[in-house]
Amino acid sequence: MDFTFSSVSFLSFLAAFALAPLFMGVILKVKAFFGGKQGPPWLIKYYTLIKLLRKGSVYSTSTTFVFKLGPIISFVTAFMLLLFFPFAGLSPVLSFHGDVVMLFYLLGLGRFFTVLAALDTASPFEGMGAAREVFFSALAEATIFVILALFFRLTGSLSFVEYFTGAQTVNLWSESAALILLVVIALFIVLLTENSRVPVDDPATHLELTMIHEVMILDHSGPDLALIEMGAFCKMLFYSAFISCLLFPFHTGTPFFNVIVFSLIMTLIYAGVGLVESITARYKMDMVPNFILTSFALVFFATILTMEFVQ
Amino acid sequence: MNTFFIALLLIGAGGLQALATFRIYSLMKTIAVSTIIGGCGVGLYDAITRIFQQVDPVVCSYEWLQMFTFSLNIDAVSAFFLVPIFAISAVAALYSFQYMHDDKRAAATANNYFFYSLLIISMALVVCASNLITFALAWELMSISSFFLVIYDVHKKSTRDAGYIYFIFTQAGALFIFAGFGFIYSYTGSFAFEAIAAIPESTKLVAFILILIGCGSKAGIMPLHVWLPYAHPAAPSHVSAVMSGVMIKMGIYGIVRFYFLMEPTSVLFGQIVISLGIISGILGVTYAIGKQDIKKMLAYSSVENIGIILLGLGIGMLGVASDNKTMAAFGFAGGLLHVFNHSIFKSLLFMGAGSVIHQAKTGASNELGGLMKTMPVTGRNLLVGAISISGLPPFNGFISEFLIYYGAIHGLSLHGASFIFSALAIIALAVIGALAGAAFTKFIGVVFLGEPRSDKAANTTEAGVLMGTALSILAASCLIIGVWPDYFVQAAFKASQAVPMISDFAPTSFMPIMTSIARTAALFLLLFILVAVLRKLLYTGKEITKSGTWGCGFTQPTVRMQYTGTSYADSMVDFFRPFIRVQKKYSGINKIFPGKTTYSSQIHDISEIGLNIFIVRPILYLISKLRWIQHGNIQLYIGYIVLAIVVMLIFI
Repeated sequence: MDFTFSSVSFLSFLAAFALAPLFMGVILKVKAFFGGKQGPPWLIKYYTLIKLLRKGSVYSTSTTFVFKLGPIISFVTAFMLLLFFPFAGLSPVLSFHGDVVMLFYLLGLGRFFTVLAALDTASPFEGMGAAREVFFSALAEATIFVILALFFRLTGSLSFVEYFTGAQTVNLWSESAALILLVVIALFIVLLTENSRVPVDDPATHLELTMIHEVMILDHSGPDLALIEMGAFCKMLFYSAFISCLLFPFHTGTPFFNVIVFSLIMTLIYAGVGLVESITARYKMDMVPNFILTSFALVFFATILTMEFVQ
Repeated sequence: MNTFFIALLLIGAGGLQALATFRIYSLMKTIAVSTIIGGCGVGLYDAITRIFQQVDPVVCSYEWLQMFTFSLNIDAVSAFFLVPIFAISAVAALYSFQYMHDDKRAAATANNYFFYSLLIISMALVVCASNLITFALAWELMSISSFFLVIYDVHKKSTRDAGYIYFIFTQAGALFIFAGFGFIYSYTGSFAFEAIAAIPESTKLVAFILILIGCGSKAGIMPLHVWLPYAHPAAPSHVSAVMSGVMIKMGIYGIVRFYFLMEPTSVLFGQIVISLGIISGILGVTYAIGKQDIKKMLAYSSVENIGIILLGLGIGMLGVASDNKTMAAFGFAGGLLHVFNHSIFKSLLFMGAGSVIHQAKTGASNELGGLMKTMPVTGRNLLVGAISISGLPPFNGFISEFLIYYGAIHGLSLHGASFIFSALAIIALAVIGALAGAAFTKFIGVVFLGEPRSDKAANTTEAGVLMGTALSILAASCLIIGVWPDYFVQAAFKASQAVPMISDFAPTSFMPIMTSIARTAALFLLLFILVAVLRKLLYTGKEITKSGTWGCGFTQPTVRMQYTGTSYADSMVDFFRPFIRVQKKYSGINKIFPGKTTYSSQIHDISEIGLNIFIVRPILYLISKLRWIQHGNIQLYIGYIVLAIVVMLIFI
């Protein structure tokens, strides 16, 4: 395993972690703009976290220790993603050949415990959300691993740092730009699915029956909820950064310039999520699998195309 | 005398004495369990030293009836398979001490221990056999002893039916294996394993497919897995743990051994095995999600894991055929390590399920719930088993799945069909992994979490101390392999070096990756502890209250509103139609003041339906037409024999 003990790596990691809640504000601002409202302040998510951290908790009498493990593990797994990701092409704190497989499986572990915590409450709503979560994420998992397969085909590497800063990089400016375009669209669909955004899930709906992720954490409160929220921000940041790195070749140019471009693209992606939420409604539940499988079809097609492209 | 035989003798003695001392029930159990554990311990020590050191090989042979030679030989592959045989059997024996508690059935229990020891010995002989005759004999001994273990509750009709189904499958499977042996013998004219490599390539394929069908029916490859969901729930839990954890792996051993012996070069071998792996893996886990009986669900999950093992082996075979060393080494090592890992977590889960059934007197998940509060030890251990079997880090299932991923991903640099098969294997692994997560969140969530769904579940108490100890040993092993995988990966790799192509593949090329994974797993555990401490600090001095679950405004929640296993699985099972047949009965609401409404749903296995329509019914029809041959006149039967001999003499 490669440790990078440079201050730049740690700084980029810390900045990513600290700014994750800020970017969520972008979504809210865009939605407010389309709703003709002023919207909450930019720092709203920080206020929410501080508020939650100062509170106590109410635990259901149905729950066991598994309910308390859920927030910890979902936070830690999402937090670890940031340690391995090369934000703006800066080398990450940790990396090794094969880290992508391990990281997506760690996210799976986080999901496993979120789902168990939901089932632990004995609430029918939370059970419903859990069943949808595991089903939809199983479909999204297929897309993600086809993307990893495609990237191996293109670059011969299996780690984020090699994808974006190695000898062969994947982005819209490389030789295989046509394929990367399909990957970007597919990854955006996966981002919407995995982070429970419209049109897969609507975190702001008034009815618990129609939620997926939000209903699973109904019974969490106080610092537990803060951990879950922070984990969700990290996960969202990770997927957005993944797409950003595909859109611009960060292995070239000066770090300063890259960081600025990276922040701009990140803001645009969060704004894009807000835009999608403003102009589309949530799909009916039985339409969601088709939506996710579209992403699978796109990347599978791209992978088949490499049989001709890469010989 | 050799250590290996001392181990077998001890195990055999433990089983035999039970037949003599069964009148004193607890004495019989104590001696049987301790001797079997002792024997397994000796065997385990012997097998481990054989893997990591050069020990004099056990090569021995006996002449029998002047024409059959029995010969045994322990090489790296045998030693690798011996480890789970001895380790899991010992833990299962420990578990059985409190599980077998019915002293009114002392004789049946004694028989159970006798056949249990016979099963261990025969499995050890299967993996050490070094010619066709010895393999066939040990194989049959294994099938028969496990059949008697399955029908322990012989007074129940369902158990007898399960026993017959198992017996038919195991004997039909043996028929295919022997047909494959016949093919081999007709070319080589010898029973020796060494001669097999010399037969022509096309014959190798036919013989391999026959052996694949035969061993596949033992391993539980879809669609030959039909006996598993019958036999496992019927057998006592320590037996289903050994059968599902270890015995079905003998089918995998057969496939691996004959593949290694044949040394084929065609890509077809890998492609067939990968295809079977994809089918078994994806459909196996889908049925596991759908089934509501906890032991049936675990049986289907075994089918799924056999699929994962086949994916690994298939990737290895494809690597050999296309001369890609990384792919071959990682594929075989991953497949073999998954054999070992699965034997640990599946026996853990089966014994845990046994404890649940033992205490709650039911295995229907929709009647269970909330057991984590009444059976905390069983619950915690099974939680570890569930994470491990879902292939999630930092536990052992992830290590073997990672090796297979790594091999398959390196297969992507190939061209044409091999590229497609590698890509399909990766997609299948990803989908299987995610669905296994769904199946086992259902298992833990419905059985152990939430509120009890019936009085049976509400009135449970913790299972016996020894049963809990057995589970804890296995759960600890899952974590140890996940965090310190080096030795286990090396052992799997040494076994796969039986393939000549990768015999010089240096372990240095993959040990750094293993170290990285182990360190990341350790980092995860460290961060987990740090955040847990941080959470504790955040809660100091704060008000923590207990209350009912938030009912979203509904103030009269009942346990019956809780999500059941059926409702949890519904949308996923629907997605996989028509590969899974769902039968739903719903009375509907058809009056202004609705009366009693009923809903039931059942999952039917399409392989079972298919086998019934296309194989069982035609055979039964044909046989019913030939029934007149069986008339009961002895003199005419003797006439048949004479006629058969005369006809054979004419043809030969």
